[in-house]
Amino acid sequence: MRTVEELIELANAHLGTALAPADAERELTELAGWDSVHLLRLIGLLEQVLDRPVPVDAVLQARSLRDIWSAAVTA
Amino acid sequence: MAITLGPAADGRTAEPFARPVRMNGPHGPWERVRDAVGRHGSVVVYGRLPEWLPADLDHPRLGPLLGRDHARFRAMGHPQVRARFVASRLLLKHVACAVVEAAPEAVELAYKPGGRPYLRGLDQIDISLSHTENLLLVGLTRRGWIGVDAEAKDRPMLGLGTEKQVCTPYERSALAQIAEERRNAALVRLWTLKEAYSKAIGQGMRFRFTEFGFSPQDHNVQVLRPDGEPGTGAEWAFHTCLVDRAYTVSVAHFDAGFGDTSDTAAATMLDDGLIAALVDGTGEGHRAQ
Repeated sequence: MRTVEELIELANAHLGTALAPADAERELTELAGWDSVHLLRLIGLLEQVLDRPVPVDAVLQARSLRDIWSAAVTA
Repeated sequence: MAITLGPAADGRTAEPFARPVRMNGPHGPWERVRDAVGRHGSVVVYGRLPEWLPADLDHPRLGPLLGRDHARFRAMGHPQVRARFVASRLLLKHVACAVVEAAPEAVELAYKPGGRPYLRGLDQIDISLSHTENLLLVGLTRRGWIGVDAEAKDRPMLGLGTEKQVCTPYERSALAQIAEERRNAALVRLWTLKEAYSKAIGQGMRFRFTEFGFSPQDHNVQVLRPDGEPGTGAEWAFHTCLVDRAYTVSVAHFDAGFGDTSDTAAATMLDDGLIAALVDGTGEGHRAQ
């Protein structure tokens, strides 16, 4: 997973969301159709794709999709 | 709809969580909400987004109604997000103002660093907000802390990897013993309880959901350690109910022992200087109908 756009594609493919690349910097609370269940499911998806655990505490404190991507890939 | 919540450790209240009542819009009537808080100290109110969405989102009154939230609202681009934001804040403000007997414009909604809402200057009242689909949910207590959460009762959660992120070992074991056709609903219940508890303690999702749990039964509910041993005392009360036959709603309530402060009108709970700042300058203010 090299870019936040790939994370957005992953979410849209598996979570039923309709996120756009422009949503990468938005507050999670201001994403249409996004909620905390999506966040937890995304953590599971990221662990599958990356084939390793992601730092859940850091991801849960993320305020944007880019924050999530950054926390997941820099671990 | 309002669910009256009794104080967790008050034996005088036979039904600490009772009587859901729906609120259909800003015009009330609000007596049931005030009565619930007067008798039980807490109330949970719910409504539907279309009923709380102003017809004109550019109406001049919306600015004073939303207060500091108005700038944030104006910066939002997505219609669905804007609608949810304004409708949920209006419900929250009207519930609070019905209880403190002030005009919605007179009470300021603020946020703690984790995003938890509170009423500035009304420290004896705690509030919580949740929404899912077009359901809006507000909890309010004058006895301690409150957290509420709502989720569609049939939202698919089972088998999607959520159990690993959500459940303690004890909960996973307990879920496995539940009939398969009821297992997803049980997981949704656990999820809403954890969200409600996390909101009540002001942690949101920063508090790992795998570090605390709940039992599958919906009586004498308490927080459990990962191995299933009790983790909280009688000062906490939890309840889950179904709303509109479609949504699982959970409430977490901590009785801080504030006592039976039955008069929560702003004029009683605030000092004179703050009252003067909150009312409309004439010293009269307005009461929610």
